[in-house]
Amino acid sequence: MTTVAAPPLVEMRGVNVAFGGVHAVEDVTIDLQAGEVVGLVGGNGAGKSTLMRVLSGARPADSGEIRIDGKPVVITNPRDAKAYNIETIYQTLALADNIDAPANLFLGRELTTRLGSLDDSSMEAETRKVMGRLNPNFTRFALPVKSLSGGQRQAVAIARAVYFNARILIMDEPTAALGPAETASVRDLIRQLKGEGIGIFLVSHDIHDVFDLSERIAVMYHGRIVDIVDKADVTPDEVLGMIILGKRPKEASQTELAQLELGG
Amino acid sequence: MSIRRMTALTLGAVLVLAACSSGGGATTAPSTGASAPASAASTAPSASAAACTVAVSWNNYQQPRWAKNDQPNIKKTVEDGGGTYIDADANLSNEQQLTDIDTLISKGANVLILLAQDTKAVLPGLQKAKDAGIPVIAYDRLIEDSSILYITFDNVAVGKAEAEAVLAKVPEGNYVLIKGDPGDPNASTFLPQGWDDAGLKAAVDSGKITILNGPDGTFTDAWKTEKAQQNMEAIIDKAVADGTKIDAILAENDSTALGVAAALTAKSYGYPPLSGQDGDEANLQNVAAGIQYVDVWKNANELGKAAGAAALELCKGTAMASLALPDGLVEASVAPAAGLTAQPFTTPDGNTVSSFILQPTPLTAENLNLAVDGGWITKEKLCEKVTATPPAACQ
Amino acid sequence: MTNVADTAPGQAQAPPRTSIRGLIAATEIDLRLFGMLVALAALLLTFNILSGGKFFHPTNMVTLAVQASGIAIIATGMVLVIVSRNIDLSVGSLVGIIAMTYALLMTEILPDVLGLPADFPFRWVIALGMGIALGAAIGGLQGFIIAYIGVPSFIVTLGGLLTIRGFVWYLSSGAAVSGLDRDFQLIGGGAIGSIGGPATWVVGIIGSVAIIGLLINGRRQRRRFGFPLRPMWAEVLLGAIGCIAVLGVAAFANANLWPQGLANRIAIEQNWGPAPAGGWKIPTGFPYPIMLLIGVTLVMTFIANRRRFGRYVYAYGGNPDAAELAGINTRWTILKTYVLMGVLCALAAAIASARLNGATLDVGQSYELYVIAAAVVGGTSFAGGIGTIPGAVLGAFVLASLAYGLSFIGVNSPGQNIVAGIVLILAVGFDTFNRRRSSS
Repeated sequence: MTTVAAPPLVEMRGVNVAFGGVHAVEDVTIDLQAGEVVGLVGGNGAGKSTLMRVLSGARPADSGEIRIDGKPVVITNPRDAKAYNIETIYQTLALADNIDAPANLFLGRELTTRLGSLDDSSMEAETRKVMGRLNPNFTRFALPVKSLSGGQRQAVAIARAVYFNARILIMDEPTAALGPAETASVRDLIRQLKGEGIGIFLVSHDIHDVFDLSERIAVMYHGRIVDIVDKADVTPDEVLGMIILGKRPKEASQTELAQLELGG
Repeated sequence: MSIRRMTALTLGAVLVLAACSSGGGATTAPSTGASAPASAASTAPSASAAACTVAVSWNNYQQPRWAKNDQPNIKKTVEDGGGTYIDADANLSNEQQLTDIDTLISKGANVLILLAQDTKAVLPGLQKAKDAGIPVIAYDRLIEDSSILYITFDNVAVGKAEAEAVLAKVPEGNYVLIKGDPGDPNASTFLPQGWDDAGLKAAVDSGKITILNGPDGTFTDAWKTEKAQQNMEAIIDKAVADGTKIDAILAENDSTALGVAAALTAKSYGYPPLSGQDGDEANLQNVAAGIQYVDVWKNANELGKAAGAAALELCKGTAMASLALPDGLVEASVAPAAGLTAQPFTTPDGNTVSSFILQPTPLTAENLNLAVDGGWITKEKLCEKVTATPPAACQ
Repeated sequence: MTNVADTAPGQAQAPPRTSIRGLIAATEIDLRLFGMLVALAALLLTFNILSGGKFFHPTNMVTLAVQASGIAIIATGMVLVIVSRNIDLSVGSLVGIIAMTYALLMTEILPDVLGLPADFPFRWVIALGMGIALGAAIGGLQGFIIAYIGVPSFIVTLGGLLTIRGFVWYLSSGAAVSGLDRDFQLIGGGAIGSIGGPATWVVGIIGSVAIIGLLINGRRQRRRFGFPLRPMWAEVLLGAIGCIAVLGVAAFANANLWPQGLANRIAIEQNWGPAPAGGWKIPTGFPYPIMLLIGVTLVMTFIANRRRFGRYVYAYGGNPDAAELAGINTRWTILKTYVLMGVLCALAAAIASARLNGATLDVGQSYELYVIAAAVVGGTSFAGGIGTIPGAVLGAFVLASLAYGLSFIGVNSPGQNIVAGIVLILAVGFDTFNRRRSSS
């Protein structure tokens, strides 16, 4: 555990979320520093996405506390989260398929003229700038995003998150739908954003992604945090073991570890 | 999920029902308040007129005519004859009407006047009255049973009166026929039959009259005024394009006639003679203003008087087939064409019942005072739209 | 358009100009809308042939347009409601109750209760304002129940259809009410309720100038931001076609003349002197209900395309979750669509009651069917997210053309209903087929 003098960028303490009788997230405490990437890993239904939806305001927590820069905040909807410069790239991308890329990028935060009308030209120009950085080949600014490829849609979703000066970025499986070249450029982007002092929660299935990019790794299992470890202190196999067994390496019995070896 | 929705639905329905019944209650209150307290004195079926309790079961009281015209005339006729009047309003509900009939019987009714919500659904109530030995008058609307006395207006004569008035004014020329809903037998059969009885068909066959909008005329979905207006606008445009002139228009009722009048106004076409029926306020105003030529009116005051008098006679034990209305009670122009004694009438289901079939009154600018004198409409209301030469009733 | 994926930026969207399709694409015309215009023209032409050349006449076209106006006005709002995955079945009853309100206000409440006589200046504006407020309030209430309590819109507005129509009954105690203010009646159109020849030319010229202005401004914007430009020939062609269409419609409306009887009567009343040889030739120009429809169409198109509210409605229709996650107040957005519907119903009710010079119990009855049909024929999809305001207006014109045209050639109402039903299914079927083909 690292200890820092300044308060962490984000702290979530004792967060609980239940769907009916099922505890999707149970008493989770986690923090994130500026300029840090925290990888969030775990099996299906471990509660990673639900925890992140709490922070992004999509699903308020049933109990628990969120602090930003050490100050307690209340986040009950996505508007609140955005007000604290928390941006999210959802696994589903959360794009409105029937409208074009600029409209999606600025959705909810449209640029307007002095009279309050939508300034589509400015929005398209800004979109061209930011997309030029992320995906220089992108040209289909006037088409509904429905007609774009998976990678192009992903680029629009990422552009939306990075355009508005995020301080805290949540990326839920950002490379799941991408080919190798596109994945590499997303990794470059994450390193670049980290260098700019943005704190990033990276939710991923891909253990290599996580090891490559994160400072710390939080492992979740059935709604609880198994452990939060410094990347330098563990091996990918140990993390994999925690994901599957839900126990710290030292707590696991030799038989369990042996089975894991065989299975892997 | 679905249970929650069902609950919401039911809740909504209850709320709506509550709103309706409270509204209905408000309109019923004056009538029950006005009626005399029920006399439980005699329940013997053949009591003398002095102890006669006449009960009326209205299917609804919302349409203004019942409260304004029918009810006071029944009540007055009964009370003038020494009887007692009681009533109930079923608020357009079949079930409520059956309950009402029970209540009226237990309140000591000797004769039941029934404005049925449904001609068949009311039959269990009719049976109860029969079991109690109470004669039943089917008022304005038929009940399918051979035991009843049927008092109503002659509906075929309505169509005849419309066409007679217009044909007298325009014996030859170009006619437009505006009919009601194609699914309503009144619109497709009875009223046109009345038109033909008045000589429309003969005039068409002999070439004196040409129907501009096809042999059958134009139907109006659900008798909608707006639809009649739209159809008439197209007919006027077509006539203008063809270079023909519309000389007269037969509209089956007042709601369609109102649409035709609006189309004539919108097109600044002028006002060829136009028919209608019902005596609606807006249409009588149009008759007074020279926009509609004739409005065939069913004088409900006289219908009420006839029913009241017949009820008193039934109280005395007179058989339905030998009933007679008192001379001079009902206005001569409205009194049954067949005379003042009850006539046999064959219902659509083949029952033969005794009946009084009253005559409708065609109102034109010349005799509008009949509607004013009968208390159907006030002179101020009638003459509101009159601008040019006022008819006699407005002078 | 599916195989021009990743070419050089700036030139991507200009497909080879070899086919007619390519030429049309270069002008960036909405193909769907263009197709509907062609279909409408074909329909009018068919009626013209069937009626022996008598149908396509200014008087008939003006009547047709006035008959379409009420449905078209409400359909512009129905587009937004359906785009946001809802429905409004209560519009007919809403029109009914507001029409009855106008009639009662002008015949009883204003003169008898508030003491404003018929000649009180701008009394009709007071009535209109109250009707619009009533529409917005009822729409807002329905919208609140739908958006904030979460009762499905189908149920809420079905309940509204029944309840509101019931209230019309109680308001009027079952009778028709007639006799509206003379100025109010102008909203209904007719020869007197039209803006006249000179004003119609002014409207046509303003429209032409606006088209040219929009094209120039659009080109300037594209150039400023370095976006791909439309070819110059396409700009000129669009401008020319737009101006010719606008001025042509104005000229056509001005070819509709006052009926001789009316002209003669007014001539005597106002001492115009003897009628010229061949009678008075006074152009009516655009009737007021058409002016109202033009205004509503422009404003609603602006709201749909150029305001945040419109953008949010479309985004919500495309993906409700995405809209919510983007921080849009989706409930407030939905509520507003119903308030807007209430206002539009009040405008349509003004036209309907002005045309009748009063209100009957059945004003507006079954409007919901025609309004929904107009929106759907105009390309609005029940799946949500898709639909345009001009499309719905065109849809209303297609339906009105059918009803009026069939009446004109003497087809009776059962026949009209058969044709209208078949056209509805054909239009939507054709559209579905087209979309499936273009997406595969």
